[in-house]
Amino acid sequence: MIVHDKTLLQNKYLREEAKALQDAGFISEEHYSNIKKDLADFKSNQNWFLRVAFLLLGSFLYSSICGFIALSILQVTGEHFEVLFFVFALIGLAGTEFFARQNYFGHGLDDAFIIGFQICLAATIGIYTSGNEFLIAIVVTTSAAFCYLRYLHRSMLLLACVAATASIFYGILNLGTEIAIILPFVSMVFALLLFLLWNKKLQHTSTFYKFDLNLIRYYSYLLFYLSGNYLVVRELSVVLLQQAINHGQDIPFAWFFYIFTFIIPVGYIYQALQQKNKIILWLGFAALAFSIYSIRFYYALLPLELALTFGGLFLFGVTLVLIKKLQNQTTGITFKPDRFSNSTPFQAAEIIVSTQVGGTQSNQQTTDSPVEFGGGGYSGGGASGEF
Amino acid sequence: MMHNHQEQLTQELFDRKLIDKSQFDAVQDYRKLKIFSLHNELKLLLYGSVLAISSGIGILIYQNIDSIGHTILLALILMATIGCFYFCNKNAKGFHKQEVSFDNPILDYLLLAAQLLTCVFFGYLQYQYKVFGTFNNLATLVPTAIGFYCAYYFDNKSILSLSITGLAAAVGLTVSPQALLNNETIATDFLCYTSIILGFALIVWSQYSKRIGLKTHFTFLYLTFALHLIALACLSQLVETYWPIFTIILGSTCYLFYKFSYQEKAVSLFVFTCLYGYIGCNILLGRLLSLIDLGELVSLFFMIIPGYFIGSIVLFIKVIKDFNKKIAHDSTR
Repeated sequence: MIVHDKTLLQNKYLREEAKALQDAGFISEEHYSNIKKDLADFKSNQNWFLRVAFLLLGSFLYSSICGFIALSILQVTGEHFEVLFFVFALIGLAGTEFFARQNYFGHGLDDAFIIGFQICLAATIGIYTSGNEFLIAIVVTTSAAFCYLRYLHRSMLLLACVAATASIFYGILNLGTEIAIILPFVSMVFALLLFLLWNKKLQHTSTFYKFDLNLIRYYSYLLFYLSGNYLVVRELSVVLLQQAINHGQDIPFAWFFYIFTFIIPVGYIYQALQQKNKIILWLGFAALAFSIYSIRFYYALLPLELALTFGGLFLFGVTLVLIKKLQNQTTGITFKPDRFSNSTPFQAAEIIVSTQVGGTQSNQQTTDSPVEFGGGGYSGGGASGEF
Repeated sequence: MMHNHQEQLTQELFDRKLIDKSQFDAVQDYRKLKIFSLHNELKLLLYGSVLAISSGIGILIYQNIDSIGHTILLALILMATIGCFYFCNKNAKGFHKQEVSFDNPILDYLLLAAQLLTCVFFGYLQYQYKVFGTFNNLATLVPTAIGFYCAYYFDNKSILSLSITGLAAAVGLTVSPQALLNNETIATDFLCYTSIILGFALIVWSQYSKRIGLKTHFTFLYLTFALHLIALACLSQLVETYWPIFTIILGSTCYLFYKFSYQEKAVSLFVFTCLYGYIGCNILLGRLLSLIDLGELVSLFFMIIPGYFIGSIVLFIKVIKDFNKKIAHDSTR
């Protein structure tokens, strides 16, 4: 099923591992480039800048080919322009296949064609069924799954997951409003099924899919949390089911969703620490932050400024305590930097955030709002004093 | 699970004799420790909490400004600033030409807070008391100067980028990332000229400091700012009256940064240089095409376009391949 050369694929993962070892300082840079020479590789771009640049160029190429074809077809037939999108989709598929056979993988050009293929296919279905979301979602699920299985693009796996979820949503919504009340529970069950599928079957696979299938697990975690989150459930029931929630009223099973909204993030964080899984930890943090936001969205217990100040102080204190506690651990959970985890994205993010927050915006604006970020870090200074 | 895959891969690297026994053992031993580092996570939380506290207090003060009084507020900010600087200074290793860092990463954040406070202090002073009279720029320049001093003394890249932003602001430019995205950086012709001059000044300074060996790890940051400042200004001028001049400037800048990206081995510089050059070429081509009356040739034009893109893709691939090869060659040497 996989179109790519198996040796090259194996080499790709070996090179990634060697790169990780080099970053962690287990092998020298010279050694790494020797390994690279020994292992032939795909035409690919590790650097994200390059990949995005080629993605842009690729989409220019794709759209210019499509424009050319469209002109020729319209000149010949003059009508039937519904067919055009189907032809565009075929071009996308042909381009993807072509690049895969030329050993392009993760290069940017191939990404442009594979994404174009999905969009055009969805548009075709949309035109022929006059916008039937359910059918679109089903077709996209199938084609994305096919693309993942054949071309191993991780983005396609994600798209397949999202589209499958969308199919279930639209399928249930089509059944009528009375049944759609169980939508949150259905999507929870779907998430559980995904997780079980991963847990029982997918994680034990020995094919090349094993490197990506963790994505299904994380997706199921995310979906499970979101389908029970109070804010999401409430807003979606207003939008999708036209359920008006008057003052003093609440959604059905509200107590369940309140509890769910807070238990799940804590559960995720706990599990992450137990299984030592970074991604689940981040999911847990993000979920917790979103939970707090969800509740604040409806019930502002404290005014924003107090919530920020005290929340910040609390967080600061807890973090300091944790850092002190974990500072000297040499095994297990620790504050010491891991040799394998790379911190450059964080540093870059910090620089961007600080230019954004403290950035002097040009003189007029600076003088307009000097106090907006005022008093900054001053309590931070005080608190760190004891450190 | 992740670990299993990676261990298998390491095993295979070893089996294929790509790494030797001692390296393999070192990796195995390290993995056995099952280290789960929360270093970045905790640091990020710390950072987030400082941001939350400062914005919370900022809003509080803003709301109660009548009852607190400006003088007291200013005094408080000043005290906090001095406090932060005091702690940083106490733990600093002093000025060195090479890269130095604090032993405790928290001090970096403290320093950042101090710098932000300095900006706030001078901004506030100017806003409320007009200390610098009508010279609003001075109110930006003074904290910027302090910022540059701190960036060099304490060796801090965040503060350096803050200061460069401040410098640009002092000459009337907004160069924060968000402004770049919204394309509101460069409003008038005059600002374009300033932006280009500032860009070249940054290049000159970075090259000079490189020559005298002063904080050479800052070069990349200077060059990044310079490239975007010059190229964006030139691109926006390509559609104006004096476009030939800016074509020349853009062309020479691209050439210059092509060299720099090789020197610094910086892919991001290289990619942006190519990208700006390519956009510039396309604008010029567009201008040329608009001069010629296409008429009948429109369909021919549409036939050529895919070929044009294929040509540019091939060119890009070749250029990037050369770049990667050169860098790999250099690093093995």
